[in-house]
Amino acid sequence: MSGVQAPGVYEGAANVIAAGMLLLEFGMLRQALVRDQIRLYMAQSALISVLAIVIAADRNLPDLYALAALSAALKVVAVPLVLRRLLRRVGLDDEEETVGVAGSNTLSPATAVLAGIVLAAFGFFCFGALGIHGPAAPALALALAAAMVLVSFGLMIVRRDVASQAVGFFSLENAISLAALVVASGLPFILETGFLFDLLVAVVVFGMLIRAHHSRAESLSTADLTKLQG
Amino acid sequence: MSAALPIPVIQLLQVLTIAIGAPGVTGVIAKVEARLQGRRGPRVRQPYYDLAKLFRKEALAPAGASWFFLAAPLVAVTSYLTIPLLIPVLTTYGLPLGYMGDILGGGFLLSLASFVIATAALETGSPYAQLGSSRAKTFSAITEPVVLFVVFTVALLTGTDLPYALAATVRSSAGQIIRPAHLLAAAALFMVILLETGRIPVETHTGTNEFGMIEEARSFEHSGPFLALIRWGSELKQLILYTILADVFLAPWGLASTQHLGSVILAIVALLAKACAVGCVVAVIDNSFAKLRLFKITEFAAGAFLLAVLGVFTLYLGGG
Repeated sequence: MSGVQAPGVYEGAANVIAAGMLLLEFGMLRQALVRDQIRLYMAQSALISVLAIVIAADRNLPDLYALAALSAALKVVAVPLVLRRLLRRVGLDDEEETVGVAGSNTLSPATAVLAGIVLAAFGFFCFGALGIHGPAAPALALALAAAMVLVSFGLMIVRRDVASQAVGFFSLENAISLAALVVASGLPFILETGFLFDLLVAVVVFGMLIRAHHSRAESLSTADLTKLQG
Repeated sequence: MSAALPIPVIQLLQVLTIAIGAPGVTGVIAKVEARLQGRRGPRVRQPYYDLAKLFRKEALAPAGASWFFLAAPLVAVTSYLTIPLLIPVLTTYGLPLGYMGDILGGGFLLSLASFVIATAALETGSPYAQLGSSRAKTFSAITEPVVLFVVFTVALLTGTDLPYALAATVRSSAGQIIRPAHLLAAAALFMVILLETGRIPVETHTGTNEFGMIEEARSFEHSGPFLALIRWGSELKQLILYTILADVFLAPWGLASTQHLGSVILAIVALLAKACAVGCVVAVIDNSFAKLRLFKITEFAAGAFLLAVLGVFTLYLGGG
């Protein structure tokens, strides 16, 4: 009697990279400090570029090399740089954690991880039931992307500070890029880059949000937003 | 090639390799760890000298302790020496007694050993020993689900839960190695091994501070040959777990596929080299992380659980 068949090296590698991205998402979920979250986000973005290269090499899609380079430049270098500068400007330096950001988790890390597992399971089995089998799509990587979307939503919900929520939103974008890469890796290059630049809009919006919130409330915590002001 | 060894001799050699190699592997880890800290460190043979010294000493038992206190180390070492019969230590082919228990059987023996030692520690009435055994039982209850999910992964991968079958599956193709389920299960198992052998994210292995102790505290009241058996037992447990990780999950190569003396000797050398390699990784981790606070250990276990559960999930959808 034999077990579940091995998927082959290419699919296996794609799946491993997707699983690694999901694990980094969980890392962000349990990580208390924003600067470490940003580091994990960088690693996740680097992984998605690696995945693009793997798909490009296997499917013979030279466009994807350019996309990988662009995505790495944007998500591994530019976005974290902007985020860090923003945080420094609102006084969230490496040394001081004055803004009530450390420990903005509403759940303890172990509970957060268990809740994340439940969310991920929901995403997994929903996509498993859909049974999408594209030509270039390892079905598993797609399900992992769905799980990542849900976990990053969870991250945005359990965090109480704007900066972590921004990181959660950007990693949500990573999850969607993963799904896009897996399902439609043959998409025209110009469309892919168009989607990529949507991220920049999000960065600007979140930057505005962080600065506006900080200037009004002297804090990054969204707990201050629950009070109604007439 | 020289003469073929009879099967029972190979089976005996599996046990002897673990029994004699275990203190050596501990010595190598201690040496590497000391080197990484810039110390010269103890001799690699030091654990053997320690055991020999303890075996020559007088054995004492606390007043009021029953026969169980003295029997526990014997039961523990016996269980540890039974496990090498069940797992692929030297050969790729199953030996006659290799099928008398599956992975769960091996797991039960490990738990039995840890259970009797914990019970013996409870019997002493010494607060630190009781503290240690209570903690050890708590954390082993937390890691139990992780181990179960790793076993599920193995069962889904191979269709059986025999360690020999998984090793053969891993050897069969590169696609079996680069699949998330296998890598996740191996990583989860590695985290469990760190927890079970009392290494740094969980426990300071060489520490003398009783408050941080988990496994180490259980042997406080034992002395002489019985303490030697407990020490030897934890070294055996460490080498057995490393063997499972290396020979079943990560690198089931270098095992003897014939009964020739040469290939069996090669397999012994390969096994000890692999165990030392795992030990070096553990020593590096020992030196690069801080010990977790006691109540943070659940987070460590939750991480391992995450890996194991994801491994099963990925298989469930097929293709993982």
